[in-house]
Amino acid sequence: MSVISCTGLTKNFRRVKAVNGLSFTIEENRITGLIGPNGAGKTTLLKIIAGFLRVSSGQVMVFAEDPFNSLKVSSNMIFIDENMKFAPSFSLSEIMLAASSFYKNWDMELAKGLFDYFSLDPKQQHHNLSKGMRSTFNMIIGLAARCPLTIFDEPTSGMDAGVRKDFYRALLRDYLQNPRNIIFSSHLLSEVEDVLEDILLLQNGQKRLHLPSSDLKGFAVALRDKTEIISDLTAGQEVYYQKSVGKDHSYVVIRRDAADGLAKRISAAGVEVLPVKSDDLCVYLTTRNRGGIDDVFDRN
Amino acid sequence: MVGDKPIYVQIAEWLENEILCGNIKENEKIYSQYQLAEMFNINPATAAKGINILADQGILYKKRGLGMFLSAKAKEKIQYQRKNHTLKKLVEEVVSEAQRLGVCEDELMGMLRDARKELDEHEGEGG
Repeated sequence: MSVISCTGLTKNFRRVKAVNGLSFTIEENRITGLIGPNGAGKTTLLKIIAGFLRVSSGQVMVFAEDPFNSLKVSSNMIFIDENMKFAPSFSLSEIMLAASSFYKNWDMELAKGLFDYFSLDPKQQHHNLSKGMRSTFNMIIGLAARCPLTIFDEPTSGMDAGVRKDFYRALLRDYLQNPRNIIFSSHLLSEVEDVLEDILLLQNGQKRLHLPSSDLKGFAVALRDKTEIISDLTAGQEVYYQKSVGKDHSYVVIRRDAADGLAKRISAAGVEVLPVKSDDLCVYLTTRNRGGIDDVFDRN
Repeated sequence: MVGDKPIYVQIAEWLENEILCGNIKENEKIYSQYQLAEMFNINPATAAKGINILADQGILYKKRGLGMFLSAKAKEKIQYQRKNHTLKKLVEEVVSEAQRLGVCEDELMGMLRDARKELDEHEGEGG
């Protein structure tokens, strides 16, 4: 059963199309990672799914309803981002108490366990927390609420590497015990990809890729050899990225199935075949210039 | 190379190694996708993919509602597979690298024998 489905989803902010003709579906009880460069439309998409924004055109369905003004969606959803505001007179422990009466699946034991583990001060106030501590607290709220639809928009901003690692582990373990629909956006794909089931890669408000996270790792390979050999091999293939190495060598990224088709010629020529990291691949897939930042410096 | 393989392939190989060294016996229940997910900090769907690789090869069989179990002769199957695919491929790589470097057959065989001797000595020390 699909929990979220979008068809031709478009959202304009004046003349800018933040989301542009997006169509995809998300099946039940999956952890989906929303990946894409700044300005790709990640936050806009998440806010539309949460029901905070009305679409300009196209259709979005969450739990089989239009999420905008939907009581069903709002009562089954939590949206965590760094702009979360709580009543300023409440202490952290009072916020958790209020959350426990608000969210019907709230797990106070988990909330308190995480709260103590991360050494938060119950008497502290939310707006006085450091950025990393605030993200940590928001994450605790997001996990303990156990909402059927849990949305994290850049939940790890400001967290140090250790806390981020703990967060991914906590998210996974809680998900294993209480499977639910989780979407979260992140710029740190290499850290989260193993925990994700699916990856949705956005670029300029459009879908670039939507596939199981485990398929992304082998999606592309890099070939490295003399430029003439490489350009001969990759003629007619879709090239995701290329750069020159040394005097007369090239490094070119192509689809793995394209490389598999050329396997005989590649091994006959002794061309080096190298793996491509998934976060590098996502950058290659979403940049306009095939040579990346080097194009700025290597203009002649 | 290990880190470059997709996680589900790594999971399948890890299970194979557990079977090869006798940690899982024939007709014994193997780890569930959820146990593997927790052990390796990966999504359970990815863990299931790893299990399915072995199920497709007949190394595991399914008991409805109970989980996956180790088939009879699973160990032999894995040994056969590894020898005829993994090891063969590795040997091919070694031979082609030797050719590129102009290493003759005798020299290559000598290197293989030396490597084996070294490994045996290490094992002797260890035991």
